[in-house]
Amino acid sequence: MRFMVMVKANPQSEENIAPSTEDLDAMSRYNDELVKAGVLLDANGLTSSADGALVSFTDGEPTVIDGPFTEAKELVAGYWVLEVKSREEVVEWVKRVPFEGDEEVEIEIRQVYEAGDFGPGYTDDIRDRQDAMAAKIAERHG
Amino acid sequence: MIIRRADEETEAGTLPSEELFAAMTKYNEELVKAGVMLDGAGLQPSAKGMKVRFSGGKRSVIDGPFAEAKELIAGYSVIEAGSLAEVVELVKKWPVEDGHGNATIEIRRVADIDEYDTATPEIVERERRMRAETGNA
Repeated sequence: MRFMVMVKANPQSEENIAPSTEDLDAMSRYNDELVKAGVLLDANGLTSSADGALVSFTDGEPTVIDGPFTEAKELVAGYWVLEVKSREEVVEWVKRVPFEGDEEVEIEIRQVYEAGDFGPGYTDDIRDRQDAMAAKIAERHG
Repeated sequence: MIIRRADEETEAGTLPSEELFAAMTKYNEELVKAGVMLDGAGLQPSAKGMKVRFSGGKRSVIDGPFAEAKELIAGYSVIEAGSLAEVVELVKKWPVEDGHGNATIEIRRVADIDEYDTATPEIVERERRMRAETGNA
C-alpha cells in the first residue's frame, strides 16, 4: 500500500528560513531509518510558496497567479511517499517523525491510488501506457 | 512539484472518466518523453486518510475526512525544470477535461539540501545516499 505523508507549512518554511542543523540532522536520520526498513520511495522539502505559482483553470482557461499564496492555510512544506503493508504501519512510522517540543504539528496521511483502485475508466490500454511511463522514468532517473 | 488541488469531486472519490484518464495519460506521456517527469500519483479522498497530531510530546491519530476540499491535495507530480516560468508553461497545457475545465494547479519548488547553510557535510552525504537508495538522484 502506498501513502503520501505531508507536513504543512509554517511561517518559518514560508520565509525560506533553513531548519536548524539539529532539526536537519534528526530528519535525515529518520529518513535513513525509512530507507533501511525499505519503505521509503521518496522524500522532499518544498520551498516557500513565494517561489511558486498557481495556475487556476476556469472554464478551461488558465490564469497564472504568482506566489506567495496567503489565502491557503494548508500548504504542503514537505512530504514522504512510503510503501508499507498496512495503514497501521504508516501511522507507526509517522508517529516517529522527529518533531519534538511544544510545537503542535499535524501530519496528513493519504493513500495513493494504485492501478486496481481506479475502476473501469482505467482501461488496459491506460494501464499499459502507465507501466511504460514508469519504466522510462526508472530507466532515465532511477 | 505540481500539485492538483482537491475539489468536491475528488473528495467524493469520483473516479476519472475514461476520457479524463486518456487526456491525463497523454499529457503525462509528453512530460515523460521530454525527460522532465520524475514522479506522480493521485491521492485517495481524505475520508480514507488520517492525521497524526503532535502536541506537547504526545501523538494522537485523527481519521479523515478533513477540512475544505480546496485546502487539500488530490494529486501531484514532480518534474525537472530550469525555471518556474518553464513549469508554468507546461501547466498551462494541463488537460481541460480535469475538473470539467475548473481545476487549480499549484506549482512549488523542491528544496535542495545544498541550499541550507545549516546542513553539515554529514547531513548532505546522508541525503545523497538516501536519494541513491530510493532511485531519486
